[in-house]
Amino acid sequence: MALSCESARRLVTSYLDGELVGEDRSAFESHVEACDACRRVLRDEEAVVDAVTSALPRTPAPDGLRTRVDSLFPAAPRGRRLWPAGALAAGLALALAAGYLYRHEPPPGGAATASDLVAFAADTHLRYTRGQLPLEIGSDRPEAVSGWFAGRVPFSLTLPDYPVGPGESKLYRLLGGRLVSFRGDYAAYLAYRMEERPISLLVTSSQVRPEGGEVVRFASLVFHQESMQGLKIITWTDKGLTYALASDLSVGGERSCMVCHGSPEERRRIERFPRSPTT
Amino acid sequence: VTEAERDEAFRRVAVACLDGLYGFALSLCRDATLAEDLVQETYLRALKARHKASPDAGLRSWMFAILHNVWRNEVRRRRPEGLTDEADLIQDPSADPLQLADRRESGGRLRAAIEALPGPFREAILLRCVEGFSYREMAEIVGCPAGTVMSRLARARALLRKSLGPARLGEPLAHPERSTQAGKH
Repeated sequence: MALSCESARRLVTSYLDGELVGEDRSAFESHVEACDACRRVLRDEEAVVDAVTSALPRTPAPDGLRTRVDSLFPAAPRGRRLWPAGALAAGLALALAAGYLYRHEPPPGGAATASDLVAFAADTHLRYTRGQLPLEIGSDRPEAVSGWFAGRVPFSLTLPDYPVGPGESKLYRLLGGRLVSFRGDYAAYLAYRMEERPISLLVTSSQVRPEGGEVVRFASLVFHQESMQGLKIITWTDKGLTYALASDLSVGGERSCMVCHGSPEERRRIERFPRSPTT
Repeated sequence: VTEAERDEAFRRVAVACLDGLYGFALSLCRDATLAEDLVQETYLRALKARHKASPDAGLRSWMFAILHNVWRNEVRRRRPEGLTDEADLIQDPSADPLQLADRRESGGRLRAAIEALPGPFREAILLRCVEGFSYREMAEIVGCPAGTVMSRLARARALLRKSLGPARLGEPLAHPERSTQAGKH
């Protein structure tokens, strides 16, 4: 469906706000790619949106208010907590070697599609690399970043810190994280750096099922790898949480997986990833 | 799923909204003490009505809608007789021009321009640009049609563009300091 310039300009705001989906979005992108004038309008409007977004950092609630709000809720009965805690978390961490811990709980928000998540991951990564998404917690210590997210996202997140083998150095560096909003719920955004290139990892409890793209299977996990806006986006689901990893690494995107699975043994396994046809 | 599990799930999501609710409350009323009161009242009402929250609807937008209602009630309570909701659409008189000028000089001019927006426009900017709500969710929160939300957002951005000028958008914008000091401790 070809769009006129007049129609395309009416859609600029909806496009930038992520409200334009499916064929409408494709038609808009095709028009803008071919039309210099509309591309300029889009860039100008995007500059306004990005500047406004960057100028409005989150304002953390004062500690006193947090304490008062916590006290309004009846204490959770012992043994009824839904997320792994203590020994269970430690056990899972050992079992997974270096994985993300999670709390399995259906989110209250509506469902999103796989393409929503891929587009959101690409947009978020680009905004971060342009300096338009400042980190709210800057630290290379996984436990510090994990602690910051506690109570801020509706799931429990423990970042891995894999052991480095003799003579080996870490392939990536954790830079920090922040909250982002995805389909009406908070998601965790984590910034890493590998080979001097940025890598973004989104973790959400929204009910979205990754699909499409090139399929890569690793143990019981199924990864979907797609290209968008010059980026490699890998999405997968693991035990109630959905992940999207974005980078512009020119090597195989699966290397990005080493952010989570960076131990020497796991790296060898990743390099032997079998490939299956696109589904 | 037992009732205790549902309550615990509610608690986790509700508490995760706290920073967002406080930031939204602060933007609405511009008073750290009042913002805390609004947020606390929001949680009290949410707790009372938690069994009415639809599992199919976003709990987060539901919490923001409660806060918005609490704020609207507060505004109505304080408003002199004879003024209507339309008064919200004029430039906010509580945005002190001297304070705004100071902030402009210290590099926070865009934030100052946002703070000077009429209330409904500022709400739309906050809900979209900070909290990332969809048009549909924003419509539920502020209780108006999605088309009105979209129009407010577009008009807010047009006002910001006008107040800053096109050349200024290309300049680096200083980040206002994180306003932890805005709250009382």
